Parts: sequence; structure tokens; C-alpha cells
Amino acid sequence: MSSQLLPRAAFVRGAIAIIPLSLATAPWGLLAGSMAIEANLTPLQGQGLSGIVFAGAAQLVAIGMLKGGAGIFSILLTTLLLTSQHLLYGMSLRSVISPLPGRWRMGLGFLLTDELFALISAHDREQFNRWYALGVGLTFYVAWNLFTLAGIVLGKSIPGLEHLGLDFSIAATFIALITPLVRNVPTVVCVAVSLFCSVLFSYWQWGSALVLSGLAGMTAGFICNKLYRERT
Amino acid sequence: MMVWAVIFGMGLLVFLNRYVFLEPRLPLRLGSNARQFLGFAVPGMLTAICGPIVFMPDHQLNLQWHNPYLLSSLVAIALVVFTRNTLLSMLLSMAFFFLLRWWM
Repeated sequence: MSSQLLPRAAFVRGAIAIIPLSLATAPWGLLAGSMAIEANLTPLQGQGLSGIVFAGAAQLVAIGMLKGGAGIFSILLTTLLLTSQHLLYGMSLRSVISPLPGRWRMGLGFLLTDELFALISAHDREQFNRWYALGVGLTFYVAWNLFTLAGIVLGKSIPGLEHLGLDFSIAATFIALITPLVRNVPTVVCVAVSLFCSVLFSYWQWGSALVLSGLAGMTAGFICNKLYRERT
Repeated sequence: MMVWAVIFGMGLLVFLNRYVFLEPRLPLRLGSNARQFLGFAVPGMLTAICGPIVFMPDHQLNLQWHNPYLLSSLVAIALVVFTRNTLLSMLLSMAFFFLLRWWM
């Protein structure tokens, strides 16, 4: 009996775990909806972006580019650069997700966001629970689409939403997840390099600032780890 | 028509980015070096997401000590170190941030 109950319990635990991050991204969801209307997309197209693409930063940039009259090729190239961190997430989760049946791989693959990765990446093969991951991913998907819908309905009537400082909640969540991991010198180096590069590359307005600074930090941590081990 | 092409094109690209390394038929075996490297994915990537939020509010570089994002981040780190409680630290640092913004 308990094994039948386990999936549901795991799903609910995942759904609850993602609630703070879902709320943290509410302003971006609202913005994705209202910006789409402002850029003269139809409500269905605005919702379609969140339902089909499901990638906050890429959606907001694409809407801005559509409004500015950019071509499809440049929008797709920008999307590729802005979302390339997902390649790393996939590689990192390969050992736990690739053995799953096809529909689970496709489903979790579609739902694989920064937020899902943040919550399940610490799990190794024994701890990983597909229902927990589905609970996290699906709840976040539904929340993101509901916030988008709210943004579409409210339309242009939410001025200055992005200046309220709600984005700090994303930083607060990630800081709370990162800090306990920083227990040795290589991780300190990784975090420091990643932080420095992310600010510098964003200042230079590089499209792929996120993945490049992440890679720089990971490389620095990896090299430091090698040197550290050789010495001891 | 163009808008729908963009939406479906973006959807396909993002899905491929997310899915490609989850495909078992992709001939890729991660050695111990690759695993060690990917072990830094969580601190590396999540830090890279936080950096611009904290140091570049409204897309402008702000390195001053009274940047509320910076102060609140330091408070969040201190809370995690001293309380060891992720959820509590998150909520308290958010409360601190909004109080600070309201007060400044």
C-alpha cells in the first residue's frame, strides 16, 4: 500500500518545495504576459510563448526583439545563446534521468528549468525520485502559465512592476541553496570566479553571459580541485 | 504567421537544449573528470544567475555598500551560516530587503 502512496507523497513534496520559487518568478510571468500584449501579440500567442517555450529570460528578450522588428533568425540565435545553460543541466542530470522511460525523459526534459535544476541537482541516484521532480516541474509550469495569463488579462495596467525589487526573491532563494555548498576552497574559487564573470559579462551585455560565467566558475573550481588533490 | 514560427522555433530549440544530454542513445559516457567538472554546476550556474540581480539592479552596475540587493544578500548568507535553515533564511532576508527598500 505504501509503495502506491509514495509517488503521490513525493509529488506533493516537490510541489510544495517549489512554491517559494514559483512566487519569486511571479513578476517575470506577469511581465511576460503584459509585454506580449504591449508588443501587439495576440493573447493566444502570449500564452503560447509560456506554454511552448517556457523559458523566462528568452521569452522576455524575444518579445522585445519582435517589437523591435528583428528577424526570425536573429531571435532564434539569441534564444540559443540565452538558454544554453540547459545543456549543462542536462549533462549534469544525465545519470539519473537518461535511464528513465521515454515519456519521463521527454516530460522532465521539457520541464527542466533553472529552478528545477536548483532543487533536484543535489540528489544522486538513490535519492532521486521522478515523482518529486515531476511535482517540482509541473507545479512551476502551471504557476508560470497562470502568472502569464494574469499578465495578459491585466495587459498594460501594471506599470513599473520590474522596479519593485521582486527579483531579489530569486537571489535570496539561490543564495540559500548555494551557501551550504561552499565548504572547501575549490567551491569558494568557483563561486568567486562565477560571480565576478557574471557581473562583468552582463555589464558588457553579452547574450550568453550566464552560461559563459557559469562555465568559467566551474572550470576554475575544477582546476583548483585538481591542484588541491595533487598536493595532498 | 511569423510570430507563431518564432514561438515554435524557440520552443524546439529550448527543448533540444534541455533534452539532448538526457537521451540515452546519445553516445556519451561521462568520465571521472567530466563528473568532477559537473559537480561544480550548482554553485557555478546559480551564482551566475544571482550576480547580475545583486550587482546590477535595473541593469546598472551598483557596487556601493548601500545597494539594498547587496546588503540583503550578505544578510541572507549570514542567516544561512548561523541558522542552517534554508527556508527561514530566505524568508527573513526577503523581509529585510523589503524593509530596507521601504526605509531607504
